[in-house]
Amino acid sequence: MENVTEAIEIQLKKGVLALCVLALLSRADSYAYEIASRLAKDIDMGEGTIYPLMRRMQADGLVETYLVESPSGPPRKYYRLTDAGRGSFTQQKSEWAAFTRAVDDILGAAA
Amino acid sequence: MTRADFMTKLRRGLVGMPAAAIEDIAADYDTHFADAQAAGRTEQEVADALGNPGRLARELRAEAGMKKWEEQKNPSAAAAAVFAVLGLGAIDIIVLLPILMGVVGALFGFFIAVIVGIVAGGIVFAAGPFANPPGGPATAILGGIGIMAISTSAGAVLTLVTVGLVNALVWYARLHYRLLKPAIDPQG
Repeated sequence: MENVTEAIEIQLKKGVLALCVLALLSRADSYAYEIASRLAKDIDMGEGTIYPLMRRMQADGLVETYLVESPSGPPRKYYRLTDAGRGSFTQQKSEWAAFTRAVDDILGAAA
Repeated sequence: MTRADFMTKLRRGLVGMPAAAIEDIAADYDTHFADAQAAGRTEQEVADALGNPGRLARELRAEAGMKKWEEQKNPSAAAAAVFAVLGLGAIDIIVLLPILMGVVGALFGFFIAVIVGIVAGGIVFAAGPFANPPGGPATAILGGIGIMAISTSAGAVLTLVTVGLVNALVWYARLHYRLLKPAIDPQG
């Protein structure tokens, strides 16, 4: 049973991870460490997993990178949403809202 | 694990990817260590939080292999995607291997049959009319064209089936990566 719960949790989080990244970037451009530590803190995600995800989103054309000179150390790589990324965020956000509403209704009815 | 250990294992795991991609990935994780240390965390803590570098490398490679397959549907991309997915260990290889061997063997056999069919049709088409076939030369020519046409469409169907199978494998692997679980187990 524990395994089942864990598997569900992993699948759930994986599904929303990309959505969370899109949401964070829709508010402000950011760099990987900032995104990773935010998500690790809030949804208990392995920090290292942000990098495969960011590469995939970049390859899919949802985000793009640019370099910003840093006062200390080498220039920092920032991520920002592309137009496709913004479109994807809007769409996924409304899908998520509809989905959670439906689940809440079912859970509320069962309680 | 120290920062140097982590980076060594990560780079070792990425061998085989294009050099530029490896540098890019290594730079990402290097920056991560630097940022974390600036925030007052120890190398040990950061390495633990990042997870098993070997597994991260496998996931990055698998992602690259699957991406290549999505962009170009050719046999080498298919092979790369299949091996990347197997390397992920997301699918139990002991269970899968016999099935996979069977499927690959069968597909290979069908492809050979298709090629033989096309060649045989060509021979009937070209040489048949001179062999005094029953029904006259026209029968041999039309029959030859027919055999080649059937073989070609069988080949097309077979290609679609192969593409579908690789797509299914990629889909399954994406669904089952354990990307999220903080990889704290030493050798996951």
